[in-house]
Amino acid sequence: MRRINFRPLVYALLVVYLTIMLLPFLWLLVSSLKTTPEMFSSPFSLPAVLRLSNFVEAWQTGVAKYLLNSLLVTVVSVVAILVVSGLAAYALARSQFPGRNGFYVLLITGYAIPIHTVLVPLYEMLRSAQALNSYIGLIGPYVAFGIPFSVLLLYSFFLDFPKELEEAARLDGCNELQLLARIVAPLSLPGLSSVAIFQGVFIWNEFLLALILISDDALKTLPFGLVSFQGQYAANWPLLLASVTMATLPILLLYVVLQRQFVNSLAGLGK
Amino acid sequence: MNNMSQNTISSKHRSPGRSVHIASYAMLAPALVLFAIFIAYPLSNTVISSLFEYGLTSPTRNFVGLQNFLELFGDPVFWVSFRNNLIILLGSVVFQVGFGLVLAAVFNRGISRRWSTLARTIVFAPMVMSSVAVGILWQLVFNPSIGALDAAMNFVRLPTPMLGWLGDPNLAIFCILLVACWQYTGFMMVILLAGMQAVPNELYEAATLDGATEAQVFFYVTIPAIRNVIIASVLITMIGSFKAFDLVYVLTLGGPAHASEVLGTYLYKNAFNLNRMGYASAIAVVLLGFTVTLSLIQLRLQATPTRSPAKDVV
Repeated sequence: MRRINFRPLVYALLVVYLTIMLLPFLWLLVSSLKTTPEMFSSPFSLPAVLRLSNFVEAWQTGVAKYLLNSLLVTVVSVVAILVVSGLAAYALARSQFPGRNGFYVLLITGYAIPIHTVLVPLYEMLRSAQALNSYIGLIGPYVAFGIPFSVLLLYSFFLDFPKELEEAARLDGCNELQLLARIVAPLSLPGLSSVAIFQGVFIWNEFLLALILISDDALKTLPFGLVSFQGQYAANWPLLLASVTMATLPILLLYVVLQRQFVNSLAGLGK
Repeated sequence: MNNMSQNTISSKHRSPGRSVHIASYAMLAPALVLFAIFIAYPLSNTVISSLFEYGLTSPTRNFVGLQNFLELFGDPVFWVSFRNNLIILLGSVVFQVGFGLVLAAVFNRGISRRWSTLARTIVFAPMVMSSVAVGILWQLVFNPSIGALDAAMNFVRLPTPMLGWLGDPNLAIFCILLVACWQYTGFMMVILLAGMQAVPNELYEAATLDGATEAQVFFYVTIPAIRNVIIASVLITMIGSFKAFDLVYVLTLGGPAHASEVLGTYLYKNAFNLNRMGYASAIAVVLLGFTVTLSLIQLRLQATPTRSPAKDVV
């Protein structure tokens, strides 16, 4: 029985699919270098001259500000998530105490609750605490909603962690905090970085909470800033696309450099 | 008392003195406090608010019992939103998981490793982009005057929709579905590929020795071997479909005339545009019912069953 060789067909389909995946990116990049008239007269050609004025203008009209806000909110939230979830997961994985199982189940169940379902009370609560339009009002919920999944990941990481190391350190006179800071944390870097990437990507791209909790333009994060641009510069496609490019490039570059870590971390959701 | 009983049960553990307990509770405390403030308390408030009629700034809350839910189930826009969530759900499961599965099989068995790494980099990339950026990018693709889609249709001499892709009430939700598939199929592929790479090679060798074709290998070896990964992918996709918001907000804002509304955007509009906090909370409760059920099933599958202390509870 002769086999039909499917290989050329498979490659052809793959190339078509990859083209569909890549073209929007390329088109984004090319369009962001054009002028508005160029965009409308010949949307698919290369720009006549290479100019970066759209990028400069987008940067000055707000992208710089939004980028800084996103960076601040993301970094602070991720660090807080690592500390809080790391401590909780370590306690849950390493010691026996009354109520341990109950607390584990409680924290993990939080994963099942989408942010959508608490928007109204969250808004009301932060309004009465006068924390609307503040970094802390945004970071608080980000950290809290990052905890369940991070605890889940770190808990299973700590279970596999060799106990002997900790016991040796204890014998050498390490107290619990020193043990955590000097032995456990450095050796947990793979687990911690996986959590950091997962939560970092989520928070960097989060839009819904920012939309309802922030209204002051000076405090908007990138996704919300882009949506505001979309409203403001509806006719100025090149400027809008330059902003999208600048908002996307940092995380895309980070992804290309740390590809393996990104894929492992984000695909961890499906393990 | 407690310490004694635990010592007798597991003599392996060092006797957990009271100070060790206090240290454990102290380590758990920050997580529990944040959980209580930002998840548990608001969540209970959502459920309570769904029984009231009130606005953002109104001084009084009127108890209306289940009135909000009764109104919701008679509200045509609610049903359109729900139908749209289901369209996204079904379309995503069929396309993202189905096509993701085929792609993963090709990557796993069909092409060389170097190419597969490059291709994986490309198909996974949209996953790290914000949905807002993806939405704006695709709004350009759908644009009737300068969009690539219209140009492509003109090129092959096919008609384009009179009202534009996103302006046509019958097409808008499918356009959103298309974008969601563009963004997430690579993600599903990577999850499924990871599952396939864990399948022992002997299974494939045995099947090939028995003269199985690639298609037979796919259906009789690969799919049964990664059954649990497939179920997890389906659940993740289903949960994600109920959480749809960003793409809809950016591409159509739920329009034209609610045609592409989803539960998330309808909830948002009721709360923050129409000033109906109680009604929005009722939508949130419905949304919660779906996502919690699906998420708990996923957690049950995911929470490494042999080791989890919660294996009997979750």
